[in-house]
Amino acid sequence: MKGFKPSAPFLLLLPAMIVLAAVVVVPLLLSLYSSFTPFRLTRPETFYVFIGIRNYLSILSNTDFWWAFGRTVLLLTIALNLEMLLGLGLAMLVEKATRGQRILRTLMMFPMMFSPILVGFQFKFMFNDNIGLVNNALQSLGITQDAIPWLIEGHLAFIAISIAEIWSSTAIFAILILAGLLAMPKEPIEAARVDGCTPWQTFRYVTWPFVMPFAYIAMTIRSLDVARAYDIVKIMTDGGPAGRTELLWTLVARTAYSDGRMGMANAMAYFSILLSIAFTVYFFNKLAAARTQIGAEW
Amino acid sequence: MDENSSARLKRRLLGIVYRIGLFLAMLTICLPGLWIVISSLRPTVEIMAKPPVWIPQEISFDAYVAMFSGIGKGGIPVIEYFRNSLIISVTSTVIAVAIGMAGGYAFARYRFRGKSGVFLGLMLTRTVPGIALSLPLFFLYVRLGIIDTHFGLILAYVALNVPFTIWLIDGFFRQVPKDLAEAAQIDGCTRWQAFWQVEFPLAGPGIASAAIFAFLTCWNEFALASQLTRSVSAKTLPVGLLDYTAEFTIDWRGMCALAVVMIIPALTLTYIVQKHLVGGLTSGAVKG
Repeated sequence: MKGFKPSAPFLLLLPAMIVLAAVVVVPLLLSLYSSFTPFRLTRPETFYVFIGIRNYLSILSNTDFWWAFGRTVLLLTIALNLEMLLGLGLAMLVEKATRGQRILRTLMMFPMMFSPILVGFQFKFMFNDNIGLVNNALQSLGITQDAIPWLIEGHLAFIAISIAEIWSSTAIFAILILAGLLAMPKEPIEAARVDGCTPWQTFRYVTWPFVMPFAYIAMTIRSLDVARAYDIVKIMTDGGPAGRTELLWTLVARTAYSDGRMGMANAMAYFSILLSIAFTVYFFNKLAAARTQIGAEW
Repeated sequence: MDENSSARLKRRLLGIVYRIGLFLAMLTICLPGLWIVISSLRPTVEIMAKPPVWIPQEISFDAYVAMFSGIGKGGIPVIEYFRNSLIISVTSTVIAVAIGMAGGYAFARYRFRGKSGVFLGLMLTRTVPGIALSLPLFFLYVRLGIIDTHFGLILAYVALNVPFTIWLIDGFFRQVPKDLAEAAQIDGCTRWQAFWQVEFPLAGPGIASAAIFAFLTCWNEFALASQLTRSVSAKTLPVGLLDYTAEFTIDWRGMCALAVVMIIPALTLTYIVQKHLVGGLTSGAVKG
């Protein structure tokens, strides 16, 4: 008699599947359901009232939500692009170093060791209008006499948050791009130079295509935890002043835990989940494409 | 001759510009951390001083002493938070690595239908923002009565870490040549023995660094911990950091000291694994 015999990879992946199903998939289905109810924490009976897509409709007309959504996308665009550029620059600086490269590499990874919450706190401290390092330095250098209200004025607070975000995550790009630069064969560069390429051309057509998959790995990793910005914002401004730095995630947390409107918060959360998934799928595809390109050329 | 010397001058100038650039970059990276350490060692008066005091006039460890001398004195129960953080992080790391080894091995050694689909699916579960996940988990945990317990947070962290440990461990197993295990099997090992005696030791350092990475993720996690824990019995250090902020005032020095306490384990562990970490993430980037 032949029974059902599951394959080895299936058995090996089973524990992972079970845990993820229990802690991620099932709760997400639950939250999908509750996004169709007017569920409030204070009134448990509302969990069983089905109101269709009314939560989603009221989100569509909620300007606070769309501001937060736009701000989140803006922050991610600015942060990811600058992190990529700065990471590339940093990696090339370190790669050029002839001595002490190991130490430089360790220093470069320094911000990665900070948890986002520490990053938030540290920049809150530095950008403090009264005792912060930034204002103290500006005043001591005589650049300005006023205490610049970094975290109190809306636009400045957004800039401060972007700086914190960029500081904390540039390292991921830098180490992975550096790994790419170090793994790169030297012959193509020499060949390009012999053939009379300018440094820019060498970079653009030889180095960059090779390093690109590494940059996409960094992008994929980053997109896995773009929501780290929640911790930073929560600490630095908590969405203030007057909601000027409210991101999708802080808005979800506020709606759910401060206002207790779980149903509405879950509907909002689904938007932020879709945003994250879109990011990841996009970069994952880029990564796959870049890999095959490399495979074809080298 | 003239051309030669101007070229030499140009190269020297470029060298200087390069050094300045490198120095500024490293300064930007290190300064914020250094500032925290310095601030934790100086009296509050100096932190608050106007005009600012740049060079610390006196060094004191008061903030650390206060922090570890219990509630009442330091204001917050750091020792309990530290204990919670340690228990939760270590337990969930061990479980996540065990599960990750099984999964990573499956991806590295077997071909099966829908492989890249499964891999992407695993990664997608990781993209769910902690705060979005915390809403249903909060509700479920309250129902199951495991809110504000170690168990609840451990469960959540295992799920958080599994996709990434699978990615890393997959990379490390790929670096171990397939032939080695096959040779061992020809010599009479079972697949199970071949794994433990040949492949596992070779991938060992990589797996250790995946473990450390998982540990750091748990150690640093805030969004879930802040909603799923309520009291001293389960709060972790990142959540505890918020205890220093009162409504209008912040004990900057105490916060700095706690920050240093949090960062030291992370710093040491990251330093140990940095080499393997990059290797694990990028293996397969070039080979495909």
